[in-house]
Amino acid sequence: MDFKPSPERQILFDTLKKYFENEYSLSDRNIAAHSDLGYSKKAWEAMRDLGILESLIDPELDGFGGTALDISTVFEALGRGLVVEPFLEVGILAADVLSRGNDAQKSLVKKILENECLPILAHSETDTEYSKSFVETKLSVEADGSYKISGTKRMIKHASEATHFLVTCRNTGDASSEEGISIACIPTDREGIKIDSFATIDGGRVSDLTFTNVSISSEELVGELGMSYSIVSHAIDTGILAICSEALGIMERIKELTLEYLKTRKQFGVPIGKFQAIQHRMAQLLVEIEQARSSVINATIYFDDETEREKTISAAKFSIGKIGTLVAEESIQLHGGMGMTWEYDLGHYAKRLVLIDHEFGDEDFHLQKYISL
Amino acid sequence: MDLNFTKEQENFQIEVRSFLKENLEPQVVEKVKNGIPITKEDSERWHQKLNEKGWLAGTWPKQYGGQEWDVVEKFIFEEECGSAGAPRIVPFGVGMLAPVLMKFGSQEQRDYWLPRMLTGEDWWCQGYSEPGSGSDLASLKTSAVRDGDYYIVNGQKTWTTFAQHANMIFCLVRTSNEGKPQEGISFILIDMNSPGIEVRPIITLDGSHEVNEIFFSDVKVPVQNLVGEENKGWTYAKYLLTHERTGNANVAVSKRKIQKLKKLADDAKKNEQPLSNDPMFASRLAQIEINLQNLEITNLRTLASVENGEAPGAESSIIKILGSEIEQDIDNLTRKSLGKRAFVNEPDALSTGYNGAEVFPKAAAYASGKYFNHRKKSIYAGSNEIQKNIISKLMLNL
Repeated sequence: MDFKPSPERQILFDTLKKYFENEYSLSDRNIAAHSDLGYSKKAWEAMRDLGILESLIDPELDGFGGTALDISTVFEALGRGLVVEPFLEVGILAADVLSRGNDAQKSLVKKILENECLPILAHSETDTEYSKSFVETKLSVEADGSYKISGTKRMIKHASEATHFLVTCRNTGDASSEEGISIACIPTDREGIKIDSFATIDGGRVSDLTFTNVSISSEELVGELGMSYSIVSHAIDTGILAICSEALGIMERIKELTLEYLKTRKQFGVPIGKFQAIQHRMAQLLVEIEQARSSVINATIYFDDETEREKTISAAKFSIGKIGTLVAEESIQLHGGMGMTWEYDLGHYAKRLVLIDHEFGDEDFHLQKYISL
Repeated sequence: MDLNFTKEQENFQIEVRSFLKENLEPQVVEKVKNGIPITKEDSERWHQKLNEKGWLAGTWPKQYGGQEWDVVEKFIFEEECGSAGAPRIVPFGVGMLAPVLMKFGSQEQRDYWLPRMLTGEDWWCQGYSEPGSGSDLASLKTSAVRDGDYYIVNGQKTWTTFAQHANMIFCLVRTSNEGKPQEGISFILIDMNSPGIEVRPIITLDGSHEVNEIFFSDVKVPVQNLVGEENKGWTYAKYLLTHERTGNANVAVSKRKIQKLKKLADDAKKNEQPLSNDPMFASRLAQIEINLQNLEITNLRTLASVENGEAPGAESSIIKILGSEIEQDIDNLTRKSLGKRAFVNEPDALSTGYNGAEVFPKAAAYASGKYFNHRKKSIYAGSNEIQKNIISKLMLNL
């Protein structure tokens, strides 16, 4: 038995960790994260040069990674840095979908690595419906055999600068049916697309996208007509693994910040970490964070096992949702007033950690899913 | 990352499994699986079978009759025993005193006491806690005063598990009041049949008799029963406690109990549906199951780090907290799942000689009793609050 990452992955993790500590200042990050773009192009380019995207992508598509362990390692590091740039959206969600497409679509993955395109998956539709198969956006077949899509996608992150949208849509079946789902890969300048963007609490921009009779050709479908649920499903499961790992990195960083604070902040003449009421809360957090890490390790181990993947992913997302909120709330409490300020790092980590529970299904959703599997 | 057992470890697992299948007595397994206490004789017969195989003290060195199991082999053995419903090995002799004697005892003490643990000639109990010294163990007052070739022991021990069965007790006693409380403690072995010892049962809230009070009045103990040096007992005691706190994950036992709980919930009805379909129940059960799955990995991570030579520190405290709480959660939900049948308390229902009405389901015989009895799990072996103190000190450096 051995739970250590391979030496290569350890080096990758350490390199990224060091880079974020030295080069990715949190105050700069916060300015960019809450700007009109929602991230820093300069930071994005600099981090691309480190090979982060390549480490998320299979060697067949010019990457040098892409396994569950690679993804988990990289996203834990990204979490520590509170990186807001679109690695999840582009490097995981879009790349995973495109890697199952035709040759032209696969070549878009290579173009991602060459910084020539920025494709974004446009999937979620209602705010509270987390099911992976929930799609109402309509795909209609025209008389000449071409297609049109109409519908609304909600809360799509980093969409405003996208070059392509990967739009899920359906031509048959009920709103939650796995049958009848297609994916269209279209340039974002196509007629009939409206983008409404919003600022977010945790950084980055989100958009609601409206598609009105947008024309697409059959070559623009990723996978076969009506048969693309498994592609979406795999991409989202990969996304869950990634943000659960991101959450772990955030929790570790929060643990460090909080411990440092408990050792330096003095009241009644002693560091507040000397008080047992504080020690026990902190010890409980440590216990919970270890359990969270175990849940992610479990999901990583079973990620390529078709029969176990969804169950272990749901167990991990449930654990991360429950424990993440606890860690965020407790760490703010342990910081007292300092935890409430914009200036101090902690609050920004806490916000992202809590909001991760709102992505790809929250703890209640995944507990129900776990029970149903 | 590699989670697999080696070929040798897999073979060992198969060997343990088949040994258990051939040697466990079905009526004892049924008691264990229904959470009903087993008798002293049940334990002794099982110890004897294990000893014949050389597995009663598998972690001991070969020269003393052990197998020199490493942490993974110990884990495999315990997990297989847990899932098969084997009685737990009574730990006080082979698991707790023995490591202390091997590290700090004289050669003479090792040669005399260790074989007797294996044959069952001695049944040991642990004299640590006192009425005024629980979590603050170092404040203990039971005194041992040197008088020629003897120590004269006076005082009181409490919460002594199975003192009613024991013929020997290892005790922490005060031999000095100088300096810090920790610096005046000695570790001594006392014959329970000595004049001046009185054992009084403490009946716990579930009505069972596991623990006792022991009173010592001018008890004469030969000086050769002192372990190690006088006033160094605290070091030995702490060494023992780290052994006591390992192996507290109980993953296999908890898994087995969850399977049993699921079966109970399939058979019980709520709103004219199986209880297992009830969303509230299913949610409680799934949360325990996920927490246990996470603990299984947390425990394996700890084992792997021990196997790779990284010393176990406060990790065993993490495991102790989680293992005890999860088992308590299962006992709690088992009690709930029985509905009104949870009022029943007939712990003898599976014992020979029981002639009352048959309890159905059998798990109800002692489900509430077990639930209350297992509140002890977050209290004993260093309460979970003490474990948090240890985590704060050793892992968080607070």
